[in-house]
Amino acid sequence: MTDRNDKKIERRQFLSRAAKVGISIAAAGVISARLYDSRGPKAAVDAGAPVTLPDFSVPHKDGQTICIVKGSDRKATVTKAIESLGGMERFVTKGDIVAIKPNVAFASSPLLGATTHPELVAEVVRLAYKAGAKQVIVTDNPINDPASCFTLTGIGRAAGDAGAKVILPRPDLFRHTTLAGGRLIVNWPIFYGPFAKADKLIGIAPLKHHHRSGASMTMKNWYGLLGGRRNVFHQDINTIIAELAIMVKPTLVILDGTEVMVTNGPTGGSVSDLKRADTLIASTDCIAADSFGCTLLGLKPSDLPYLAKAQNAGVGTTDYQLLKPIFAAVG
Amino acid sequence: MYWKKNYRHFDRSPGESGRSGEIYSKTDFSTRLRLARNDILNFYYRVNVIMKIVHVRRISQVFFFSVFLWFCIVSTVGDKFWQLRGWPINLFLWLDPLSAVGTALTTHTLYRPLLWALAVIILTIIFGRFFCGWVCPFGALHQFAGFLGNRKKLPPQKIQLNRYRKAQSIKYFILILFIAMAAFPSIAATLQTGLLDPIPLVTRSFNLLLVPLADRAFGLTSATARFYEGAWFVLAIFLAAILLNLIIPRFYCRFICPLGALFGVIGRFAIWRIGKKQSECVDCKLCEKSCEGGCEPAGNIKISECVLCFNCLDDCRHRLIGYQTRPSLAGETTNPDISRRGFVLSLASGIIAAPAVRLSNKMGSNWYDGVIRPPGALAEEEFLKRCIKCGQCMRVCPTNVIQPGGIEGGLENLWTPVLNNRIGSSGCQLNCTACGQVCPTSAVRPITLSEKLGTDNFAQVGPIRIGTAFLDQGRCLPWAMDKPCIVCEENCPVSPKAIYTQECFNTVRNGILTVKKIAENLIETVEETLTAGRFATGDYYCAIEGNQRFKIVANTENSIEISPGGQLEKIPAAGGRIQLQVRLQRPYIDIERCIGCGVCEHECPVSGKKAIRVCAAGETRSTDHRLLLKR
Amino acid sequence: MDSASSRSKRLESAISIFLLAILFLIGFAIFIKQFDFDMSRFGIGAAAPLLSLQGSETGIGAKLSFDSLVPSGFKKLSAAEIYVPENLYEKIDGKATLYIESGFVKLFTQRFVSESDDTLWFEVFLFDMALARNAFSVYSVQKRADAETYPAMQFAYSTSNALYFVQDRFYVELVGSAESADLFGAMAQVADKLTGRLAVGKVTEIPELTLFPQENIVAGSAKLYLSDVFGFDGFRDTFVCRYKAGEEFVTAFLSKRPNSQEARNLADSYYKFLIENGGKAKPTSGETLKPVEGKVLDFYGVTEIIFAIGPYIAGVHEAKNQQSAEKLAAQLIDKLSSAAPTTKND
Repeated sequence: MTDRNDKKIERRQFLSRAAKVGISIAAAGVISARLYDSRGPKAAVDAGAPVTLPDFSVPHKDGQTICIVKGSDRKATVTKAIESLGGMERFVTKGDIVAIKPNVAFASSPLLGATTHPELVAEVVRLAYKAGAKQVIVTDNPINDPASCFTLTGIGRAAGDAGAKVILPRPDLFRHTTLAGGRLIVNWPIFYGPFAKADKLIGIAPLKHHHRSGASMTMKNWYGLLGGRRNVFHQDINTIIAELAIMVKPTLVILDGTEVMVTNGPTGGSVSDLKRADTLIASTDCIAADSFGCTLLGLKPSDLPYLAKAQNAGVGTTDYQLLKPIFAAVG
Repeated sequence: MYWKKNYRHFDRSPGESGRSGEIYSKTDFSTRLRLARNDILNFYYRVNVIMKIVHVRRISQVFFFSVFLWFCIVSTVGDKFWQLRGWPINLFLWLDPLSAVGTALTTHTLYRPLLWALAVIILTIIFGRFFCGWVCPFGALHQFAGFLGNRKKLPPQKIQLNRYRKAQSIKYFILILFIAMAAFPSIAATLQTGLLDPIPLVTRSFNLLLVPLADRAFGLTSATARFYEGAWFVLAIFLAAILLNLIIPRFYCRFICPLGALFGVIGRFAIWRIGKKQSECVDCKLCEKSCEGGCEPAGNIKISECVLCFNCLDDCRHRLIGYQTRPSLAGETTNPDISRRGFVLSLASGIIAAPAVRLSNKMGSNWYDGVIRPPGALAEEEFLKRCIKCGQCMRVCPTNVIQPGGIEGGLENLWTPVLNNRIGSSGCQLNCTACGQVCPTSAVRPITLSEKLGTDNFAQVGPIRIGTAFLDQGRCLPWAMDKPCIVCEENCPVSPKAIYTQECFNTVRNGILTVKKIAENLIETVEETLTAGRFATGDYYCAIEGNQRFKIVANTENSIEISPGGQLEKIPAAGGRIQLQVRLQRPYIDIERCIGCGVCEHECPVSGKKAIRVCAAGETRSTDHRLLLKR
Repeated sequence: MDSASSRSKRLESAISIFLLAILFLIGFAIFIKQFDFDMSRFGIGAAAPLLSLQGSETGIGAKLSFDSLVPSGFKKLSAAEIYVPENLYEKIDGKATLYIESGFVKLFTQRFVSESDDTLWFEVFLFDMALARNAFSVYSVQKRADAETYPAMQFAYSTSNALYFVQDRFYVELVGSAESADLFGAMAQVADKLTGRLAVGKVTEIPELTLFPQENIVAGSAKLYLSDVFGFDGFRDTFVCRYKAGEEFVTAFLSKRPNSQEARNLADSYYKFLIENGGKAKPTSGETLKPVEGKVLDFYGVTEIIFAIGPYIAGVHEAKNQQSAEKLAAQLIDKLSSAAPTTKND
């Protein structure tokens, strides 16, 4: 009797111990899972609080979203294009600080068409001042050395002569940002300083073939806003271009198809890589501008996956016909 | 190990068909199967008592100790077999639950490699303090020392030595103290477990003491001698711990070890435990003759003291002790023997201790700038929450510049990594990131080279500065002694250099001379006091009135030869004055470029207190210590 | 010894041996772990014996001297730059992929500006492509439509503002900022000096180019594609040449494979690829294709011919006229047969 009793007590004790063991192990496991840190501590670097790029867009006006002008003189075509969209006064209010972001990526001669033509930059600066801008800033975060880029492309001098302030990238002008819903732009440094104080943003891009993404136009132009080791995004080039188009809401974009780089983009190198198309596109919708622009390269919008991605995110449309484009010609 | 004479014999005959010699070839499959099974069983039963559990325990201790020793030896950066390669040198530190629990309390995270500790915790919960008896290299060392010291004693003496002592609860108080310091004062949380935690302690002792001694003796891991400041103190503690085993075996394990205390607390519900299989026995107490934990298996066994050495199981002549699921029939105590008063006292002490130590304001404006931490170290408060003072970074540093800290930076600074640029081969090597790669708790983060140098992705943020060099103009040769020297500028490794020079000319002592005669390039002086050849080094110039200055190529006691091609426009008349000048390049520090690597300090020829010294001001890991507005 | 105690002893032994096995496994695991290492984590010094040092030379400030190359009337505009695969994109952005996939090793660049007119400047891009074939490949696939053969070198062409050539394993581009004769003259000077320095007396050897029949060839149209030729994944290292056939152009291709078996296999898979994508087999009108088991296809209106001779796979691509395609194929077969006489069984 006592034997069996003993055995019962023993078993109960054992079970209670086993239960305690189980609970302890479970507790240890749960705590470890909650506290688990696979990446280790980060340096407490003063990167500053994360920022969001402001929304520079102006209200939509039906029938005045995209304008395509034919002509060989950039100054004339861009003036005509902006006029057709309501004039620079629609975009620039008196007293505004206007930031212009041309493509100054390479230390290339303007002859090669790899960067925005300095004449075009100068004209837009002048138009902005005429419309009452308090200050116009011309800036970009180039791929090559910034000082040589702004000098050798002629944009630095052209901007300065027109009265604009050129801002070269500096470490303290970069801040981290995260695109809501973005997969790639997560806690990534962007060139933020010049745009933080601006009221309006105008992008000016040349029309180029691009080895990796197919084409480099107004959406790809925002790549210049990325800092850090941005080259890694080339592995997912269509997603990054789409995310850039979602992140940046400009006032106006200008796509310069006067001389289109049809081969060997994005750097080109020979005048023979260019083809004269004498077309300039101004638009408040980047996707529409790019969708029309790619036809000058012999492509269809469906050939460029990033256009569809951006359209699906709701920032524009590839079917530019729906926007009632204005066609004009100069000279 | 011995063979037993009687063993069961399984039938190896094939049955009707065939003879025993041709078993396998001539019989059918099922018979063959039966015969094979019987062969295995015969083998199993023949191999009767080949392995005792104590033998395995000893083998295990030797194994883990050897592995530990090997890890200490291979902790040199390199790809040879006896160098770092992929050897998991932090294995013991990661297995150590006290580090894991400690960092979990201070940082509220469990750093990934410390998951190993979870495995050890789980096994301890199930089996008891196996780590102490089977794995811990420090424990193995103690056990061995105790064995050596006491083996000549008779059993009654040994039984006395191994009795349970109330003082064994001290280690629990030590544990509570450390836990309180880590957990409660959340601002002043500090991880001090590394002071007495056996794994960091033994790692420190081997890496900072025994291995460098072996290096000096026969170049074990390093052809050149390696030095560690304060190694005497490490020796004192190590030696004390080992020698105390001569008084009471496993002294450290029983009375001091906070890790053992932690295991004791965790392991009290173990499913299997040592215990007597029957309540009455002869009471010979031979089981306690070699009891390592001092847990009294003869009577009411203290489970939280038992280190699973299994000596009692082996020593009992009547085989009455077993490792079993039911409690010992002579009674057992699972909880550590700590009084509530003791518990409260140690808890309170811990809660007060950390902020009390911080009253020195060494974490604030009274910070000691001689504490230069390795590149990648976290800001000081965060750093002290993670550093377990294991010394791995010091061991692996190729230039031997990382040293165990003393208490000048505060009490918490003891044995934490501090750079001393006078020791070692060259200050913090520019292209090296070894220290962060081996830190087991990421107190020094495993940075990439581009983060350290401020390139690629980190170009916007800039390089990591561990300090800034400051010139001591009162000791610097070109500044105070009129002696040309630009060693610091030459050795500065960053590009562009953080040290630049400005030229100046100073008249040397007794350097104003009177002209006797001038002939072409030779100027003879009235004074005959010059040391021949002294001014011919290329650093000396002859300044003549009218802002003319010419390099001196040779001199005797009373003449100076200036370099040919020097046109003397205004020739001083006899009796005119010339000045002997030395050309100095005086160094200046560009604090926007200096990263505090210390090569300049190391190379400075002014011996003893160097004329250029690095201090931690300007380090980027701390926003408070910055020198510049922008990083 | 009673059986209970011997049983427990056996249990003890079994557990002991089991624990020993675990110890052994732990030891083994540690031994295996030490093979898995990456010395570059410890910095350049540690990695140096294993990897080649490239990091210290990148970017501006390299000590490469283009000094002897400065043309008369010009001076250096900026410091020489060196780029390696990891940072090539910093110079040429998207085009970097083309070079990296073609065996790129290093790029040296230097700008020169005219002393009298600072709008006249040019940049020299010197690509080290590791092999002459690679250099020829990137040279030929980027050839501009208005290229004019530059006679001074074996493989060179010029456009209105630039000069491109191959010298041994180097591909060189000289890109001018304006279309100017003076500027071009200076670039020609530099090109001249470079050829002297890069490979003294060496002729860039590309043997496959001699295998193309010379009749009706469009001069300078030879291209070497290193991968994804004609959109087919298995096609690499293929030479392509254009021929004039009356008013139309026909393209011939050939590629040398390691052995005949592989050539045959590749021919078959390419043929299958074309069929799967809508090609239709056509009967061959001549006798020339039979001995090499050549296949003729109609692919959406153009003729494709594929065959294999010895280790070579070759054929005709995108020919509008089947006859001219077969004629060219015949010429090609001729040339290849004489090049690889003992073809069938190697």
